[in-house]
Amino acid sequence: MFNPRKAEPRDVPTILRLIKELAKYEEMEDRVLLTEKDLLDDGFGEHPCYQCFLAEWQEEQSNEEPKVIGFAMYYFTYDPWIGKVLYLEDFFVVEEFRGKGIGSKILKLLSDLAIETRCSNMHFVVAEGNHSSIEFYKHRGAEDLSKEEGWRLFCFDKDSILKMAAS
Amino acid sequence: MANFILRKAEPNDVSDILRMIKELAKYEEMEEQVILTEKELLEDGFGDHPFYHCFVGEVPKEKQSSEGFTVVAFAMYYFTYDPWIGKLLYLEDFYVMEEFRGFGMGSHILRLLSETAVKTRCSSMHFIVAENNTPSIEFYKRRGASDLSSEEGWRLFAIDKEDLKKMTTPK
Repeated sequence: MFNPRKAEPRDVPTILRLIKELAKYEEMEDRVLLTEKDLLDDGFGEHPCYQCFLAEWQEEQSNEEPKVIGFAMYYFTYDPWIGKVLYLEDFFVVEEFRGKGIGSKILKLLSDLAIETRCSNMHFVVAEGNHSSIEFYKHRGAEDLSKEEGWRLFCFDKDSILKMAAS
Repeated sequence: MANFILRKAEPNDVSDILRMIKELAKYEEMEEQVILTEKELLEDGFGDHPFYHCFVGEVPKEKQSSEGFTVVAFAMYYFTYDPWIGKLLYLEDFYVMEEFRGFGMGSHILRLLSETAVKTRCSSMHFIVAENNTPSIEFYKRRGASDLSSEEGWRLFAIDKEDLKKMTTPK
């Protein structure tokens, strides 16, 4: 039985574990530098930088503790043409639990939240090689803005920022 | 023209911000897609929980634009989160009115944003640029920006309101 819920401070080690599993799935595991302390301060302090839904799984009629087998990390961004946007940052279901509709249920929860909080849109980024995820999203109406409108994601890393701050 | 000031936007700046959002959208040939109102900008930026922050560039009255505006530049940003490295500063919109370009205002705004990023312990500054916007791409690349779409193949996706509603829990 699948039970979605909002993450709590005690879930931080689990969130970090799942972040690393997703990064491993994207072949980028060594790029995860975040620590449990960062996640705790940033997600459960006075001004949370992110929010999380967790997907818990419990076998029917089992006394075992429910296992967290998926998560979605999101926050609110702002589009100057249309206003508030729900930004889906990370979204992952552990491999052995895929195909059971858990991903769809989480997306449904996120959609409920987006509508409740008067968001015009949900945005997220997908790696162009991740065909199964692209299909999953396109199947639900997602459009590839990079393709259709030619938007490209750019980044200034810390060194460049420091150089510009000192200029 | 050498003198201008950069400052944090105030509630009174909302009509200038909306004007410049529309000018920037026009520059990107998307002007009719701006449906945001001054009321929403005010509530969303200056309420209890701001969803965005803004710097504006202002010139003295004697240097006003040909149409009489003194607020002539803006940068809209907010904070996002990368689950690998933590807090990021996300630069959403960045615009200097055409007649005020070439005087260093853009560079100064970028410096202010960089100082903000450092102060708030952000690991990175992210933003998107239209692939055919060569002058902006050059401006950013000159200052060290990398094109993550090109290098890492990230593509930006969107699910709009109609499709979100289709996915919501039936009432």
